[in-house]
Amino acid sequence: MKPRPPTMRGKHRYILVRTDPPGLDLDGRTLYYAVAESLTDLYGDAGVARIQPSVVSCSDGCAIIRCSRAAEDEVIAGLAALTNIHDKKIAVRSILTSGTMRSLRQQKERWNAPAPSPCEDVPFQGKSWIPVRYRGTKVDLFEKGFKNQERLFLTEEDLEE
Amino acid sequence: MEYTDACVYPLPNGDSSLRRMAIEARDLGFDSIVAACVEGGSYRGVEIVGGILARAKEIREVQAIARKSTSSPALLMASAGPYSLNRALIQTGWVRVIREIQTTPKNSFDHILSRIAAERQVAVDLDLSLIVRERGYLRQKVLQRYADIVLLHEKFGFPLTISSGARSILEMKSRRDMTALCSLFGLDRDGTLAALGSVNRVLNRHKPVEVVG
Repeated sequence: MKPRPPTMRGKHRYILVRTDPPGLDLDGRTLYYAVAESLTDLYGDAGVARIQPSVVSCSDGCAIIRCSRAAEDEVIAGLAALTNIHDKKIAVRSILTSGTMRSLRQQKERWNAPAPSPCEDVPFQGKSWIPVRYRGTKVDLFEKGFKNQERLFLTEEDLEE
Repeated sequence: MEYTDACVYPLPNGDSSLRRMAIEARDLGFDSIVAACVEGGSYRGVEIVGGILARAKEIREVQAIARKSTSSPALLMASAGPYSLNRALIQTGWVRVIREIQTTPKNSFDHILSRIAAERQVAVDLDLSLIVRERGYLRQKVLQRYADIVLLHEKFGFPLTISSGARSILEMKSRRDMTALCSLFGLDRDGTLAALGSVNRVLNRHKPVEVVG
């Protein structure tokens, strides 16, 4: 079978996204279902069929999402409306849109989430917390316990006070 | 204060400290935030404006809250209510922003109030957290109401402010995300960017001329 000529193929746009908080173990399939559900909520089945979203790659806190051309703003709105995956709070932030994946892959290195470094327990607001420090002054505190762990987002200066 | 997130809720109302929210706001393309129930200041190049939330059924209660707040420059934001309350809120001159307009009946903010709000530079806040959080019928109602407000804004020119209503850094939105979300109710890119910059305009508004003596 002869392949379809390039001029007759559907045109796509690629969106580089970053997932927050860093350190989430998220695979492409899970992200795809979450994005598709969010887009279906906003635009309906017909809208999603027109947008044609798909997750091309997902690793190190970054993902590349493909959609049909002229639907990139709708995908960005759908990503902004995505707040949790499997009952875990998450933010999917769009960074760049491009017509090819090559430029996004070059940019992706810049946005890869740094590996968090767990440290010794710290007291905060009368409780004991497990801190995870990131590049810069960002510190996340995890409540000690087995389930329903509360998570606080602070800075080093907040802990010093 | 070129781009401002018009309302965020740091600790203890949320799970993120004010400093962390300021850092996140800077990463998301904002140079200032309005933080509810905190003192104003600045952190790592991000200006923090203290926001005072007034939720009252009568104008007297709002006036009492306005008199108590002495910290400057603080942004007094009042929740909208019935028509008479909204009219009083706009005419008093203390309230800079009217919030939660989507919870009120459609006729509680009409073309007359729009004209007065434009004259007195009182802004109407569009909280994007409702669009993100709600689903189905409730989200549709919010989108409908915001579309109506945008229509009035385009006709009469009163200021709009856009807030993420974030209680966590994970709920904060970038300028790009806000532009995409605002397109859902008909506010275009230029209109969104103008609305993100209108907190400064509302804070430093020109007072009406008073004849003395």
